[in-house]
Amino acid sequence: MTDPVDQLSAPAEQSTAEGEGPAGPSPAGRDVAVLSVLRVVAMVVIPVAAFAGLWWVFDFLRDADANRLVLVAVAIAVGVVGVFLLFWGMNAVVDRLPARYREGVRPYVFVGPALVMLAVFLVYPVINTVIVSFGDRHGDGFVGLDNYEFVFTDESMLRSLRNTAGWVILVPLVAVSVGLVFATLADRLRRGEAVAKSVIFLPMAISFVGAAVVWRLIYSFRPAGFGTNIGLLNGIWMGLGNDPVPWLDKQPWNNLLLMVIMVWMQTGFAMVVLSAAIKAIPDEIIEAARIDGASEFQVFRQIIVPSIRPTIVVVATYMIINAMKVFDIVFVMGNAETNGTEVVAERMIRWFFISNHDGRGAAIAVVLFLAVIPVMVWNVRRFREQEAVR
Amino acid sequence: MRFRRWTALPIVVALLVAVGAACGDDDDDGGSVTVLSAMEPEEAQALNDVLEENLDADYTAEIEASGNFEEQLQIRSEGGDLDLAMLPQPGAVADAAESGAVSLEDLGFDIDELRDTFGDVLMDLVEVDGQHYGLPSNVNLKSMIWYPADDFEEAGYEVPETWDDLIALSDQIVEDGGTPWCVGFEAEGATGWPATDWLEDIMLRTAGVDTYDQWVAHEIPFNDEAVVAAGERFGEIMFGDGYVLGGAEQTPSIAFGDAPAPMFEEEPGCWLHRQANFINAFFPEDAEPNVDYDWFPFPAIDEQNTLFGGEFLVAYRDTPEIRDFMEQFTDVEIQCAQGGIQGTSRISPHPDVESDCYANEILGEASEYLTEQLQAGTARFDASDQMPPEVGSGSFWSGMMDYVRGGPDSLQGVLDEIESSWPS
Repeated sequence: MTDPVDQLSAPAEQSTAEGEGPAGPSPAGRDVAVLSVLRVVAMVVIPVAAFAGLWWVFDFLRDADANRLVLVAVAIAVGVVGVFLLFWGMNAVVDRLPARYREGVRPYVFVGPALVMLAVFLVYPVINTVIVSFGDRHGDGFVGLDNYEFVFTDESMLRSLRNTAGWVILVPLVAVSVGLVFATLADRLRRGEAVAKSVIFLPMAISFVGAAVVWRLIYSFRPAGFGTNIGLLNGIWMGLGNDPVPWLDKQPWNNLLLMVIMVWMQTGFAMVVLSAAIKAIPDEIIEAARIDGASEFQVFRQIIVPSIRPTIVVVATYMIINAMKVFDIVFVMGNAETNGTEVVAERMIRWFFISNHDGRGAAIAVVLFLAVIPVMVWNVRRFREQEAVR
Repeated sequence: MRFRRWTALPIVVALLVAVGAACGDDDDDGGSVTVLSAMEPEEAQALNDVLEENLDADYTAEIEASGNFEEQLQIRSEGGDLDLAMLPQPGAVADAAESGAVSLEDLGFDIDELRDTFGDVLMDLVEVDGQHYGLPSNVNLKSMIWYPADDFEEAGYEVPETWDDLIALSDQIVEDGGTPWCVGFEAEGATGWPATDWLEDIMLRTAGVDTYDQWVAHEIPFNDEAVVAAGERFGEIMFGDGYVLGGAEQTPSIAFGDAPAPMFEEEPGCWLHRQANFINAFFPEDAEPNVDYDWFPFPAIDEQNTLFGGEFLVAYRDTPEIRDFMEQFTDVEIQCAQGGIQGTSRISPHPDVESDCYANEILGEASEYLTEQLQAGTARFDASDQMPPEVGSGSFWSGMMDYVRGGPDSLQGVLDEIESSWPS
């Protein structure tokens, strides 16, 4: 922490170090107190001033009977330029502080407001959601653990928990494995690697809703008498001499059909990231293995996979979290409740916005939040381990 | 040095403002009134054209079509940025009353006069704690059974007057080698709603309006005997031998808009289809009313009542313009003019709007039938739209689908489950 070289190269770190404790060239106790006060002031003044200013302008703009384009122009000007000037002005104020405080306060002017905003827009909502989750359908009153009891006893909720577990396990597993195979094989193509990878990556560019609409057509079904079947899957199925099948109706297999959509979208992402990692493996290692007589499969198992394990973990985490919050696909592909395809995030939206039961919606949100935490902790821990190795 | 770059900023701002001002010359003196609605953009455009021509005012009025109506409504009513909204459910009117809507009394409307015009059925729907919120802006008739008119006549079938006639007709069609019913309940996230209409239509005719009202208000349980009886009647059609094209268990996968299609084949794939008045928008483009298709009212069972849906115009601000707009929009002139829109399915709740206002003959007939029933007090609003959303747009929909998949024996279990989902 007090390494002189470090201090020279990173003046910003020096100031934090100073503030954090007695290890630095410690200022007097009074100075520490003044410094803390100044920091808090700096952190709070900017958001409050910005908020007050924006509020005033917003209020003014809303009442004005002016032309909308003018309002938009003024709003943009005030918003962007105003915030910029605010930071610039606060920086100028810090310049006027006594030299011994200056560098101790400056980082807080810039980082502090972000922390305060984070608290207001992230921490506060989390706390509020927890409070609401103990309330009734309007979010007030106190109903104890009723909403949580609902989450873990309602038949439809239990199905959603089971289905989400399926999504979280199967989607990352399949998408990462297939992506890894593609990455390894594409790496060996003499020509057309870019084209092959682009084609597989393409679905990534489509929104979830768009993809779901496309796949609705693939799974489309019409029973005999209701015209020609236009679904691709039924086209193939009937080409093999079978009767058309209402695919999205076949419980529990329809869940797998929905997962296929997410796998289709995310495999490309896994492939691109893993492919980059594979290319970063030094050729010498692989060559050495080959010279030692390793088969291609052994190279893959014992050289390539271990070398890119950190990347695999990152990609898998990303997909686990994506699978946990999957909503659009399920929502677009029909009535989840009648098809038995409920997932947790879908239930949450349903209870919040369609059934207007804030307490239950919030309880589901809290459960989802708690479920994501272990994944995040695991991810951060892996990341730290990696950093430690470096 | 640093400040040289800054001198550009005021210029940019000034330019932006100037551009905005230049574009803004179309501002009007009398202000404007906007109506948030869940319509399709084309329909809103057609209505705006009607307003442009028929609204007698020094302010402008615009119907706004919103793709995510529910969220917009919540956001804008809480943000105070809402003049009027067209709410598709009586339940939403009650919510609006709680979240800042202005009552008709406060706007200065004469409630007795409104009750005289629109009838008690409609005005009772917008009553919350003795105050009234919202004027009926349009309604739709749900108790309609469609049939392929020319083929029907050729085959020598007759329009049934009673339930027994309807069953006899269905049997006759089966005997003649046809399939009587086309049924489809798939509606993406709302799959199942057409089945709730079926049950409600039958309830109204077997149990009567009073029991129906008690059922809606949960004064009798959802799984009351009366509902079981109605469900069994519904099953008579759904599970009747050879009655439903494709079989009952397929109906949750058939899109409700695709369902009537087989009726228009050379040899009708089916002969009967029960759906609200909007469904002819889904018929083949070259299908001619009264030739290729016609309709008859859902026949009487123990009595004859009628099921309908509709929208209500609710004010969120009290200004002379808003009041004036509400009055003009629900009055005969504009209501008649909107009937002239090609392809519209909006029926006017105003009894003085004659059937010849409608560009579409069938809609004219439906309007005549429905307004008569509304005035007589024998029409009832869609029950599922009035029940708590977890039932009305949740367990009721999915329960009905469990029933058509599960067969006749699943009825009691399904109704018990819906009852248990009713919020305490």
